[in-house]
Amino acid sequence: MPPFAPQTPSQEFSGALPAATSLRDRQRASAQSRRPAAGKRIRAGRALYLTVNIAVLIFLLAPIAIVVVFALNPTPFIQFPPVGVSLRWFQKFFAARDFMHALVFSLEVAMLTTACATLLGGCAALAIARGNLPGARIVLAVMLSPLMLPAILTGLALFQAYVLLDVGRPLWGLVAGHTLVTIPYVVRTTLAVLHNFDLRLEEAARNLGASPGRTFFEVTLPLVKPGVLAGAIFAFIVSFDQFPVSLFLVSPGNETLPITLFNYLKFDLDGTIGAASVVSILLAFLVVLALDRTVGLRAYVKL
Amino acid sequence: MTLSPKAMHRRRFLTLGASLGFGALSAPHVARADEPVLNITGWGGKWGDIMSSDIGPAFEKEFNCKLRTDTALPFLPKLQASSRSAPIYDVLHTNSNEQWAAAEMGLVEPKVDPKLVPNLADVYPYAVSDKIVGVSIFTSAIGLGMRTDKGFAGITSWKELWEAKYNGVRGGYVIPVNSLGQAFVMMCGTLFGKGQTDLDAAYAALEKLKPIKLVDFTGAMEKLFLSGEVCLGVIHDSGIYRYDGQNQPIDFVTPGEGVLSLEQVLAITPGSKVKELANAYVNYMLRPEVQKRLAETVWYSPANRNVKLDAKYDARLLTTPEKVAKLIQVDWKWYNAQKDEIDSRVNRIFRA
Repeated sequence: MPPFAPQTPSQEFSGALPAATSLRDRQRASAQSRRPAAGKRIRAGRALYLTVNIAVLIFLLAPIAIVVVFALNPTPFIQFPPVGVSLRWFQKFFAARDFMHALVFSLEVAMLTTACATLLGGCAALAIARGNLPGARIVLAVMLSPLMLPAILTGLALFQAYVLLDVGRPLWGLVAGHTLVTIPYVVRTTLAVLHNFDLRLEEAARNLGASPGRTFFEVTLPLVKPGVLAGAIFAFIVSFDQFPVSLFLVSPGNETLPITLFNYLKFDLDGTIGAASVVSILLAFLVVLALDRTVGLRAYVKL
Repeated sequence: MTLSPKAMHRRRFLTLGASLGFGALSAPHVARADEPVLNITGWGGKWGDIMSSDIGPAFEKEFNCKLRTDTALPFLPKLQASSRSAPIYDVLHTNSNEQWAAAEMGLVEPKVDPKLVPNLADVYPYAVSDKIVGVSIFTSAIGLGMRTDKGFAGITSWKELWEAKYNGVRGGYVIPVNSLGQAFVMMCGTLFGKGQTDLDAAYAALEKLKPIKLVDFTGAMEKLFLSGEVCLGVIHDSGIYRYDGQNQPIDFVTPGEGVLSLEQVLAITPGSKVKELANAYVNYMLRPEVQKRLAETVWYSPANRNVKLDAKYDARLLTTPEKVAKLIQVDWKWYNAQKDEIDSRVNRIFRA
């Protein structure tokens, strides 16, 4: 074979094989020696990940667990470990006229607030995103400003306004106060959807002869529904649990559940408070569940 | 010129909207034109129950009016935010410290006219003393509550609260937000210094009171007693006596140095449009039968000297001049003037 004759692939392969094999063996041997350490690191990382997640879950759920224990414990004070399981505080809660009135009234206010905030917030978000409004950013900042102001000041300011108008503390005044602090949630979530909205879909509908109204109801609204719906859920829950705004705006005999609980707390700190809290949490959960069953929230989880 | 259908539609819509708005604004005025309404403040709990079931309706029937009771705190900021000429309340019912703050701002009248409230002639002197704005209709005694099953017996003095054996089971209040806690500051000055206004002595005494369990509301203190977490603490007598008959191992101690008074005070707002009714309400609340009913429901000592309570209540509440003499009234006007400084100082003491 001439000195510079090219080697056949088989020759090349066979000639390189011993070196490659030894390199691979060395790498394998090295990897095998490293594997227990890497495995340990992965296991430690997973354990840390699980620990952090469990700690976060405990942090989030522990208050609810304590409330449930308090509600079911028969003693009239917080006691741990609990001495038994009793429904006496739930019975007391459901038998108390004041609590029942407050519960129904809170639901009424929350539903009215949700309707108002969803309508106004949704329209406002559409106008801000699509209306070519002069000073749209300022309008947006104004719409979101109730989130930055302490809610107790919003309540006090509205209370003073109603006093000046000499209208007392009517139901619509309370709903207006709640709407004010819940609109930002609807605006924010609706704007998030509108940000990724494909305008060509509307243009296509218009090109195909749909009127502006039909385009809105059959194209725009279904597409922004996830944002509006998410905002509506926030609005309901924020209104149902609203305390600082209600503090100044509830009228005598028409107190919401959080206000009634606060007033009760001053004189009695028994399990009725826990029972009321459990009912309140369950109601919020039921609202979300009902919405999921009716409009399919899981499709909007990405929000 | 003819209007287009669209313009007509818009105009009709605006007219309808304006009418609805006007209707909504004027509805309360129309509704309240029927009978006079007396706006008052009041407590919840058992007090609120009996007021709404018995005492309030009886007043409404007798005076042909509507009694509207606001039980949602805070009363003072709401009164402050409303117009002086048309205040949100006609009669302010609250504790003495808030009444003094209201009086200082001109939100309530400092005194009640005896000519318009004849029952004022029958009250104990403390109820209309210079330490009171308006009139005190009831009082509670702030003293010491104790567990009777933990071997801590024979307590006779406020000073025993400082004994080391109560470390870990001693109870008090978050002073900036609780009237009992504030009154107790003045008691510390009296016990260890030159008097109620001796704040340096009070601060030093509070410093020595640690460790102590502090709560915001008296309701929470009651539960600490029931659970046994607190065995000796500051509380008002009604907070202990209300568990009478429930077989709870707790009792109220009247220390030898006296008890602080926690008055339930009524005062009329200067701008009230129903002054006559407001005075009638104050007078009504001082009637012996009304006083007896409320006293026996919530364990408050009646201000009217002529009230005859059932034996069980008579034995424990302040129903004789001798018992009433044990009351120590707090100078709330002075305290309110120093409140910011006191709050700041006691916060530092108990934060450390």
